[in-house]
Amino acid sequence: MTHWRSLEELAGSAEFREALAHEFPPGADEPASGMSRRSFVQLLGASIALSGLGGCLERPRERILPYVSNPPELTPGLAQYYATSMVLGGYATGLLVESHAGRPTKVEGNPDHPASLGAAGVFEQASVLQLYDPHRARRPRRASKELSWPEFTSAVSPAKLRRYVGDRGAGLHFLLEPTSSPFVGDLLVRLRALYPAVGIHFYGPLTSPMLTAAGTMAFGRALQPVYDFRSADVVLALDADFLASMPFHLRYAHDFAERRRITGPSDPMNRLYAAEPVFSPTGSLADHRLRTTGTSISEVAWLVLAELVQNHGLSPEGMPAGMRSLLGTVETDDGRLRWSRAVAADLAAHRGRSVVIAGERQPVEVQVIAHLLNSALGNWGKTVRYIDSPFAAPGNDGGGLGPLMDASAAGQVTTLAVLEGNPCYNAPADLDFSSRFSKLYLTLYLGLYENETAAEAKMFIPALHYLESWGDARAYDGTASLVQPLISPLYGGRTPADVLLAFLGEPDAQVHQQLRQFWQQRVASADFEHFWDTALQRGVLPDTSAPSVTPTLKWNGLDQLLTRSPAGRPPANEPAVELVFLPDPKVYDGTFAGSPWLQELPHPITKLTWDNAAMLSPGTAARIGVGSGDMLLLEADRRTLRVPALIVPGHADDSIALNLGYGRWADGEPVARGVGFNAYRLLPSMRYILPAVSATQALHSGIPRRHDLAVTQTHWAMEGRPLVLQAALEDYRHHPDFTRGDKGRTLSLYEPHKYTGNQWAMVIDQSLCTGCGGCVVACQAENNIPVVGKEGVLNSREMHWLRIDRYFSGPADDPEVVAQPMLCQHCEKAPCEYVCPVSATKHSPDGLNEMVYNRCVGTRFCSNNCPYKVRRFNWFDYNAEVSETEAMAKNPDVTVRARGVMEKCSFCVQRIRASEIEAQIAGHPVRDGQFTTACAQACPTKAIIFGSFADPDSAVAHAAAEPRAYAVLHELGTEPRVRYLARITNPNQALEDQHGV
Amino acid sequence: MVSSLATSPPLMAAQPEIPLLEGRPSDAELTDRLLTPLWTTARGWWLLFGVTALGTLWLMVTVTYTVITGIGVWGNNIPVAWAYAIINFVWWIGIGHAGTFISAFLLLLNQRWRASVNRIAEAMTLFALINAALFPLLHLGRPWFFYWLLPYPTRMSVWPQFKSALPWDVAAVATYFTVSLLFWYLGLVPDLATARDQAPTVRRRRVYGVFALGWRGSARQWYHYRTAYLLLAGLATPLVISVHSVVSLDFSISQLPGWHSTIFPPYFVVGAIYSGFAMVLLLLLPVRRVFRLEDIITRRHLDNMAKLLLATGLMLVYSYIVELFIAWYSGDMYERYTYLVARPFGPYSLIFWAMIAANVLTPQLFWFRRLRTSASVLFGASLVILAGMWTERFIIIVTSLNRDFLPSSWHFYSPTWVDWSILLGTVSLFGLLFLLFIRFLPFVALHEMKQLRYGLVQGESSRGVAAV
Repeated sequence: MTHWRSLEELAGSAEFREALAHEFPPGADEPASGMSRRSFVQLLGASIALSGLGGCLERPRERILPYVSNPPELTPGLAQYYATSMVLGGYATGLLVESHAGRPTKVEGNPDHPASLGAAGVFEQASVLQLYDPHRARRPRRASKELSWPEFTSAVSPAKLRRYVGDRGAGLHFLLEPTSSPFVGDLLVRLRALYPAVGIHFYGPLTSPMLTAAGTMAFGRALQPVYDFRSADVVLALDADFLASMPFHLRYAHDFAERRRITGPSDPMNRLYAAEPVFSPTGSLADHRLRTTGTSISEVAWLVLAELVQNHGLSPEGMPAGMRSLLGTVETDDGRLRWSRAVAADLAAHRGRSVVIAGERQPVEVQVIAHLLNSALGNWGKTVRYIDSPFAAPGNDGGGLGPLMDASAAGQVTTLAVLEGNPCYNAPADLDFSSRFSKLYLTLYLGLYENETAAEAKMFIPALHYLESWGDARAYDGTASLVQPLISPLYGGRTPADVLLAFLGEPDAQVHQQLRQFWQQRVASADFEHFWDTALQRGVLPDTSAPSVTPTLKWNGLDQLLTRSPAGRPPANEPAVELVFLPDPKVYDGTFAGSPWLQELPHPITKLTWDNAAMLSPGTAARIGVGSGDMLLLEADRRTLRVPALIVPGHADDSIALNLGYGRWADGEPVARGVGFNAYRLLPSMRYILPAVSATQALHSGIPRRHDLAVTQTHWAMEGRPLVLQAALEDYRHHPDFTRGDKGRTLSLYEPHKYTGNQWAMVIDQSLCTGCGGCVVACQAENNIPVVGKEGVLNSREMHWLRIDRYFSGPADDPEVVAQPMLCQHCEKAPCEYVCPVSATKHSPDGLNEMVYNRCVGTRFCSNNCPYKVRRFNWFDYNAEVSETEAMAKNPDVTVRARGVMEKCSFCVQRIRASEIEAQIAGHPVRDGQFTTACAQACPTKAIIFGSFADPDSAVAHAAAEPRAYAVLHELGTEPRVRYLARITNPNQALEDQHGV
Repeated sequence: MVSSLATSPPLMAAQPEIPLLEGRPSDAELTDRLLTPLWTTARGWWLLFGVTALGTLWLMVTVTYTVITGIGVWGNNIPVAWAYAIINFVWWIGIGHAGTFISAFLLLLNQRWRASVNRIAEAMTLFALINAALFPLLHLGRPWFFYWLLPYPTRMSVWPQFKSALPWDVAAVATYFTVSLLFWYLGLVPDLATARDQAPTVRRRRVYGVFALGWRGSARQWYHYRTAYLLLAGLATPLVISVHSVVSLDFSISQLPGWHSTIFPPYFVVGAIYSGFAMVLLLLLPVRRVFRLEDIITRRHLDNMAKLLLATGLMLVYSYIVELFIAWYSGDMYERYTYLVARPFGPYSLIFWAMIAANVLTPQLFWFRRLRTSASVLFGASLVILAGMWTERFIIIVTSLNRDFLPSSWHFYSPTWVDWSILLGTVSLFGLLFLLFIRFLPFVALHEMKQLRYGLVQGESSRGVAAV
């Protein structure tokens, strides 16, 4: 393994400037105003001194009351957990939400829910902050006038509305986000019964129309595949980031990891091939990654299929003989052909035990070829099953924005109700949605914020957050679960169901009641009460997973798709590059752009925060003549976008990728406003890849040519240091002790520390870490970690206790990427402890490196002497400006740190102590797995294992005993309690020499 | 031993060309000349006073801003958690070494040429220490709890953590400051009495009288004075070595490449004396020029101090070479990276090479006697060396921190306007204190000059030579 030089260091470039514009989120920057801790103490002293005088004054009498009768389930000081579901992109993920005295503080995965299995992604976990966002809309209005709910319901009641839209509802249209809610689906059906001509449309910018289109094309029916990675030995991902961003990714990651995890050199391991233009977490875990443009993925898919059919005698079910000849030999890029042949051979050798998965952004032909490949490989019914889409599709509108805009152009839209979503911001640019929307006669928008769509709507109703509302939804596999509120509405607001009920003329109907009734009618249970309570407790409605459908390929029309031989394509010599639009791993489609946690979460690969950028390969950047941070001018279909370039090693040449969701402009979301660049300005309808756009240096005078990109990691190489150790599975089998030089006891002059009781420790399996960032957000939510804003990140002052280091290795143009979660290593011989002049950081008998905030005076010597640089310093009073509602999101079990003190990972000491107390009351020792840290809990691949070394049978002790375990920077003699498992890959010998590992 | 001070033969006899004192002014002449600046104020003084007072005011403003807002107003970050405050601290402490070195070390070594320069050097030491002491306080996250670093008996029985170098650092600096202050003040007492006797107004006479502590110049008083002075010199001399050694431990007890080095104590002491002499020269040369003291602070003095600069400069060069060699010889990849890659070729390489040019090349001028005795060359060289020594501390602190073990945490550091304001503010404060010193106190040790003259005259008459 050769580690290569630094690619781009902001530190080294002369252009590097510190951005001095104040871009703090609330609470990050302001000088301490109001009462400082110091003046508080002074006042406290003064008030004690003067307290005797208090008797001279008549104070107003106030009464405080205790609970007269305690709520039976509530013990003050103990958290409750409630099951609910969060819907993203139309699909539900089951959650357990921690609630303290009636306020939800932390979102965790529901182990009983098939889309979570106990894990939670970054969006789910950060959603709790959105609940308390002080910028949420509070006031329903018509134009700028107050609009009461009765006024609204009477305005849209059938009696009134019929005057405008007639009995059939002509001209009445609804636009919703794609929804899998059976209840909302039913309401829509009822609406259509009331108004037969009503238009019901669905639009979510990241809900790919390709899935259903491919289903229709291949099977004549909108079937969607559900993969079972637990049975897959070989996986081919065609631009599919199934481990971190596709729907159901938490489950997929969990299943994939089950076959990836090894507990010793003799264990088998699955193999992952990935062909992709943009480095994704899935690509970073791949054993063989083909760096290729998004438009050439279809060629790769085609080549694999041709290879299977021609050389391995494997054809998709019922393939007409005539079509086989279409898959003839082709002349193509040599590397691509070799790669495809090797992959095809490996897949053919694992018939029925493989998976081919196509990314949602890939066009229909790739999706269809993936179906054909799975069919040819005999994976149907084994690793791939097909189900009907769980999305509600009432009637046959054909649904998207296109038909709605066509109707609007034809003057057939008079009234449009937009229920959630944000189409004025995120509609494809070619539809010109916003200007049409603002011209309609009556427009209604239901949304969480006064956002871009709210600004154009004539009537606006604040929406409820999911943690405040009742509802239901289905997971990607069809499993239904309930959404139950954790808190009564903070600011008032309504759900889409409320609005639909108003249109149905039932303004007084309660969503809760209606929902219950809906399910009561559908559940054949003798004891519905029991069924309902169980469903709410478990968070899942039993046996609702969608039944598998046996698909039949419709070969008519597929011949054309297969004929389009890639060899016939013109060579891409033009200066044009392709443009790939991506869901953002931090703000999704822009929905979470107002979340400071997510804005400050580093991008899994680029480590970029508070921005998006045009990602491109070093070669393409050199050709265009830009470096990271230089402004780039992108032009497609006469629309332009100026966006900074960001060079990413491993990106495909001639490809530029943009994350959607930035460049928001609405005043109602001040955190999101002006952050990043709006990629929707170039997004076309029904496509996520533009094959040819022009990309040039932005040279307009008067416009800044550079943009400061706040990346948390400016150096990308390991410099030949033994930080992330890795080996191929074969090598590990032959040399299981290859990490022996990086572990074991080291010599010391000092007496060893006296340890008693449990010995807390952690093991991180680097074979399984995708770098998704779920642990980082979990840690942030659990431990009340503040955000520092873009300027703070530019100054390298981010506060994350747990960060994910990312290193590139291998050849510069086609490197490998490895992720290494880095947190306090709880060294047994901690370098931070002996340098602290005031004993503010000490060792506990159970092996924790403890931080005593009260005692810290802030010399920062501990940070200087920490070789892992995991200590964080409160440069300002980061909590000074936290609003009242945001303060409610704080975990009451964890101290909110003051200005001027050091902080760092505590191994979630609050959880350790809580379970010790729990175990003591129950009269048994703390059991392995009784609790875990927030990071370990959130991890979808279970790459983080936490427990006690004192228990030789604990999972963590077993993992640490694995031959490939080691300690980072072992030679320093710090003896860390966090051990890493070397990254093991499972390369295909046939491709070994090509990849050059 | 006390009497031997006055009667021992001159050690510099080997180089008789430049005398230690030109002419043989009488006691009265010396008193008149050296006390005149106390009774008159020049316009230039007011100008400089105004500038430095404004600078000091700005220092107070920026310090207040820092304390109120948090040290986030500085450029410090993680990994570079220490930067300007600690650089300035080490720099000022280093400068503070020359005074005690000249007064105490040279006293014990019978270097009589120290007489005309020791007072300025000692005052400079105190002022440098005042500036230095500001920084450890300011750089704390919560400066109002600075006293937790002191070993005072608390009810909770919480003590400082004595394995850390920082409590020792506090103790060392505090001790050094106390001894330096006593030493300086003790040396001043006879001259304050002279000032009392010479003062033109009653008020001044009273003020100087109070501070002269009833000095009458009796033989008994002189006897006690000499004993006390020598004892304090004996006490102060080891401190010259210990203070910067302890300061260097702030770095060398850590395991950071670039800090973790056993050469640090001697290396820091040498660097400190080097920069201290440069600062003494920087102050002495204008004073000598303005007050026309060329006969009292002769070229002999300049020559001697330039030689000291050369000697300490060469020791510093040796330290640099040893550091680099050991980094290579250790075979440790992190050490090698810091010393052999990051410093000479990393993001701060310009500062590194500036440091080499300033600290290694500048003293080589002083191989030549003509340059050693040229006031303007010395003045320029001192400025360059002071800047060079500041950059040395910058290199030690910032380049070690900004690229340590894990490349993932590497990050650039750049100072903010507050960092610069505080650095320049302390320079102003230093200048202000020095201006007040030369305005209100006898800045040349009057009684020591008289004693030197007496010794020289005695030596001449006993050996019958014309000049020394």
